[in-house]
Amino acid sequence: MEHWFVFSETEMSAIGLSFKVALWCAVLVLPIAVLMGWWLARKTFRGKSLIEGFINLPLVLPPVATGFILLLLLGTKGLIGHWLNELLGIRIAFTYYAAVIASMIVSFPLAVRAIRLSIEMVDPGFEEAAKTLGASTFQSFVRVTLPLALPGIISGFVLSFARSLGEFGATIIFAGNISGETQTIPLALFNQIQMPGMESSAFRLLLVAVLFSFLAMAFSEYLVKKLHKRN
Amino acid sequence: MHALSAHLKRSKGDFSLDIEVDFIQGITGIFGPSGAGKTTLMHLLVGLEKPDEGFLKIEETTMVDTFKNIYEPARNRKVGYVFQEGRLFPHMNVRKNLLFAAKYIPKGKQVIEFEELVNLLELNNLLEKRPKQLSGGEKQRVAIGRALLSSPKLLLMDEPFSSLDVKLRRQIIPYLIKINRKFNIPMLVVSHDLPDLLSLTRELFLLKNGRVLGQGNYLDLIEQENMLDVMRGAGLMNVIQFKVEAHDKKNGLTILSNKDASEEISIEREMVLDCCQIGDEMNVSLRPEDIALTLEKIPNISIRNQLPGTILKVIQKENRNYCLVDVGFKLLISITHASLLKMELSEGKNVWCLFKSMALQTNT
Repeated sequence: MEHWFVFSETEMSAIGLSFKVALWCAVLVLPIAVLMGWWLARKTFRGKSLIEGFINLPLVLPPVATGFILLLLLGTKGLIGHWLNELLGIRIAFTYYAAVIASMIVSFPLAVRAIRLSIEMVDPGFEEAAKTLGASTFQSFVRVTLPLALPGIISGFVLSFARSLGEFGATIIFAGNISGETQTIPLALFNQIQMPGMESSAFRLLLVAVLFSFLAMAFSEYLVKKLHKRN
Repeated sequence: MHALSAHLKRSKGDFSLDIEVDFIQGITGIFGPSGAGKTTLMHLLVGLEKPDEGFLKIEETTMVDTFKNIYEPARNRKVGYVFQEGRLFPHMNVRKNLLFAAKYIPKGKQVIEFEELVNLLELNNLLEKRPKQLSGGEKQRVAIGRALLSSPKLLLMDEPFSSLDVKLRRQIIPYLIKINRKFNIPMLVVSHDLPDLLSLTRELFLLKNGRVLGQGNYLDLIEQENMLDVMRGAGLMNVIQFKVEAHDKKNGLTILSNKDASEEISIEREMVLDCCQIGDEMNVSLRPEDIALTLEKIPNISIRNQLPGTILKVIQKENRNYCLVDVGFKLLISITHASLLKMELSEGKNVWCLFKSMALQTNT
């Protein structure tokens, strides 16, 4: 029984990769989501609901379909992908980068939603006050809106991290299931479940997935609570 | 030099604003009923709203000129604005709120020193506190201080009294007067409450339906017929500055004097107790309805305050009549048409103004 809690090399690599992909995904999604969240919260313009619908598409689309769209766009024979490949020699599909991009696309709407809501909660009157005191739009955003919306921004970050940990469908289509390159915990788990005799491996991965998700949520709760106390 | 000159037009739905203004120095009160366009005017001056047409000059700098396509955003205007609700940044302590604008002022261009201002507004003990730990009056002082530390050429205040209770209003007024004297910053104070404004300044600017009705000294404005209408609804009031001379403990009265008046007056002592000591200057208000006119001094009467004076002007307006009497300072007195006829009151006539000690209110 003692080998139940010894992680194999494949499992370790899946865990490390999951963590790396999720972290990169959250870090890269954050600035774009903050900008988009601010834009949607503060501006009114024609076609706004169209843009919102487009951003939210990955939320309702089956992840496999999202992965397929990404493949059509960025695959080596895809709309954009073949130019990247021919002109710059860049191949995205079925690489580590594809795993990150797939995660980013599916977690983007979650992050935008959380951040937008928190920015909407900040009274625009504070931004006006900052401007009468000499701040530009950008400075008033950074010094006033951003700190006041911080709890929402943190939860946006954690949500995209957690969503990336759970990402399966888009990744397997767009990035493949390549051990050590794109095989994150869900993909490894999928493999082990399908293979007879790998129950213990599947169990260990399951445990790690539960632990990761739980820690991410607990951490975000802790930060948000601390910030609320501060403000 | 003009602190500000502007001619601004803006329409929003049914409401249209078309205002020409000129301010030089000192404190000017902008008065008008709700919906007169006071806040819109403030927003146009500060740069939170754009005019459809017009220009705005602050000192000699053109900030807005729609004909020359000039539009300076709020941050370049050097106009300090104290919002009605204060709008202190909740995530910063008082010190950081006060120093918010410091980053945007070039070194050496800071007109008002931090320490000096903190002392003047008595903010020393509040610096490390968060806005939510402050009382209404403290918030107001911090908001004023924050605006002043942006080194403005002009200070605008939107309803600075409305969020304060009666007692706090009385406390904030001396600060505003001190600021104006010490830093020589022209101030525009918006209010829909005439007695509040009058305790701060006599220079008024009257707004109604987005138009200017008049600008000038309060008592001069009252003499113009159409002004009276606007101001009457707001509670016409005499506001007079007195010096506290003595306390008459036995009778429960306090004796006040005014350097221009020949007689001292008395006021109920409890009105004065919690605010002023002997030698202090204080504002006292008196409703025109609470003053009676007689042709001679009346010895045996319970009314203690009797001031001799000369009628400057008789204002007749529909069924309301007012006399403006010079008793050393000007007093506005409300009178019935019947009395006006019976006493043959007219300009130049000598009269006595009688009012009870109880009719005097210390200012809020």
